[in-house]
Amino acid sequence: MIWTKKYSPKKVSEVVGQNKPVEQFTLWYQNWKPGKKAALFTGPPGVGKTCLAEALATENNLEVIELNASDYRTSLQIKEVIGQSMKQRSLFKRGKIFLIDEIDGISGREDRGGPGEIIKIIEESKFPIILTANDKWNIKLSKLKTHCQLIDFGKINFWGMIKRLEEICQRENVKCSKDILKQLAKRSEGDLRSAINDLDTLSKGKSEILIKDMESLGNRERDENVFDSLKIIFKTSSPVAARMSIKNVSKPPDEIFWWIEQNIANEYEKPEEIAKAYEMLSRADIFRGRISIMQDWTFLKYMIDLMTGGVAISKKEMYKKFSKYEYPDRIKYFGMTKFKRAKEKQQLLKLSEELHCSARKIRTEFLPYFSLEKLSGNEFKI
Amino acid sequence: MEYQIWTEKYRPQSLNEIINQKHVVERLKAFVEKKTVPHMLFAGPPGTGKTASAIAIAKDLFGKNWHDNFQETNASDARGIDVVRTRIKEFARIKPFDTPFKIVFLDESDALTSPAQHALRRTIEKHSTVCRFILSCNYSSKIISPLQSRCVVFRFTNLSKEDVFAYLDKIIKGEKLNVDKSALESIYELSEGDLRKATNILQTASSVGDKITDDIIYEVASQAKPKDVLEMMNFALQGEFKAARKKLHDMVIKQGLAGQDIIKACHSQIFDLNIPDEKKIQMINQIGEYDFRISEGGDPLIQLEAMLSQFILNK
Repeated sequence: MIWTKKYSPKKVSEVVGQNKPVEQFTLWYQNWKPGKKAALFTGPPGVGKTCLAEALATENNLEVIELNASDYRTSLQIKEVIGQSMKQRSLFKRGKIFLIDEIDGISGREDRGGPGEIIKIIEESKFPIILTANDKWNIKLSKLKTHCQLIDFGKINFWGMIKRLEEICQRENVKCSKDILKQLAKRSEGDLRSAINDLDTLSKGKSEILIKDMESLGNRERDENVFDSLKIIFKTSSPVAARMSIKNVSKPPDEIFWWIEQNIANEYEKPEEIAKAYEMLSRADIFRGRISIMQDWTFLKYMIDLMTGGVAISKKEMYKKFSKYEYPDRIKYFGMTKFKRAKEKQQLLKLSEELHCSARKIRTEFLPYFSLEKLSGNEFKI
Repeated sequence: MEYQIWTEKYRPQSLNEIINQKHVVERLKAFVEKKTVPHMLFAGPPGTGKTASAIAIAKDLFGKNWHDNFQETNASDARGIDVVRTRIKEFARIKPFDTPFKIVFLDESDALTSPAQHALRRTIEKHSTVCRFILSCNYSSKIISPLQSRCVVFRFTNLSKEDVFAYLDKIIKGEKLNVDKSALESIYELSEGDLRKATNILQTASSVGDKITDDIIYEVASQAKPKDVLEMMNFALQGEFKAARKKLHDMVIKQGLAGQDIIKACHSQIFDLNIPDEKKIQMINQIGEYDFRISEGGDPLIQLEAMLSQFILNK
């Protein structure tokens, strides 16, 4: 049996290094009844999200219906699977929990109203639902979040991880120096699952792990956090380092673009630097426009180099300060005001027929004089 | 059905009521008489009677059935040329009602990109047997020449003070308003010959008091000015980039203003700024550059932000 399975927690209390999430989750489960919110576990891979849900099930003798959202292309398919097992009573009259993994992996475009379907499932479910996701800022989650209790998992603490690895070595009767465990913990970057996997691999057929064995471990391509990449772009003076920094970020370049935009003025303070950095973004944006007009992705490299390297070299010297990087307004508000803007657009288009001019013109020629309510309401019945 | 917005209530019902534009109206009337209409391009400044003439000619030609034989589409709202073409196709499919042809009026055609205009050329040819097209635009230079060559071009000229007074007089009599002579002068000056603007100013002023004075007109006009734009530029000129950026985000993201309308407002308000003339000219050059970048396909928000970041250097 692979060690990650063998040593996965069987009780909620055995979950390592996630005291606060465990507490929040236990409370949520105790108070859950049909109609209540689902639990949404967010956090990087390998920190115990799925483990916690499974530990709860084992401890309480519940049947886990597990779905990996990335295996199902649309939320309609998920609904089908869940809908079926929702109707069946559990075989041995056990309770059930639904675990939908990687909800942020659900395809965004193909299933319009996707989150809507999931929300419906949450509202109608007779059993508790647990969703997991890596990136709590993912736009796809914004609607879903209001129907979920958010439970955020952090990376596993360095020493906590070493302690757990030591325990496993003891139980497996494998000799392993503290130095090696430290290295394993370090390269895992807070991902306990990957550390246990590495330990498992190194100990195969051996009773002692030596330093030289470490070389056999390949480096994992980490899905880097966008905040880490911002830190590099704003602090480095090397365009190459800046460009490299976004390589492993799971967000597309045009989204990273707005993350950089949002934070230029949070980092840079001199007007010349801000102006230069924005000029770089302006040029990058021109290439973005050319990509979309000509459908020619060969321009992408210029866009990326300008927005990363260009912004990086816009500073005279590195700011030795801690900057708190913000979530982009552009993405945040566009999501939030989407409904309001759609409704307004609808009103304007209706008015545009009545007033014989475009919606855009109504904005510039009529709205300065008459409010939208007045124009479309009863006061000025047209 | 009574119109309460005066621009609609006092919209010309026939070519006879169009204010001035005599050279255009005369020829349009001749078309009506012969019951033949070519494809036409109406070019001219806003509020000078382009849409009014298109509707008036339809009413004169088709009488009370005008609505069945007349379709109005705003190029700047329709998302892409495909939407425009589908609308036209559907309209053209139904035979003209009691007349040899129908009229498609494509307002703000200069909002169409040049590939879209080329696509439109085919559409016009395809439906020529059933439909006559009237395109309108502010600048005919923004219409590709193959389209221009298929149309008879009519130029609408700026309206004079007398023209504006003549139109406002109709409203003043109709609404029994009491308007000072100097207030009228001010309306003309503020509107720069744009009848839509003049009418909107007058209607807003009429709700302020029984007697419409010069002061009221100026107050109405200054309230209607996009203050956000001026505030944004002032923040930038004081070196407060973050505050300027926030104003911009309010306008673009929350209010949904079009980037090019904001740029236009920036340009028109440059001379209201309290800075040396040399800086004003420098800023105009900068505004022009970012306007160009947006028209090249740049994202309005990022380009306007880049423009603001240049302004902080002018501090």
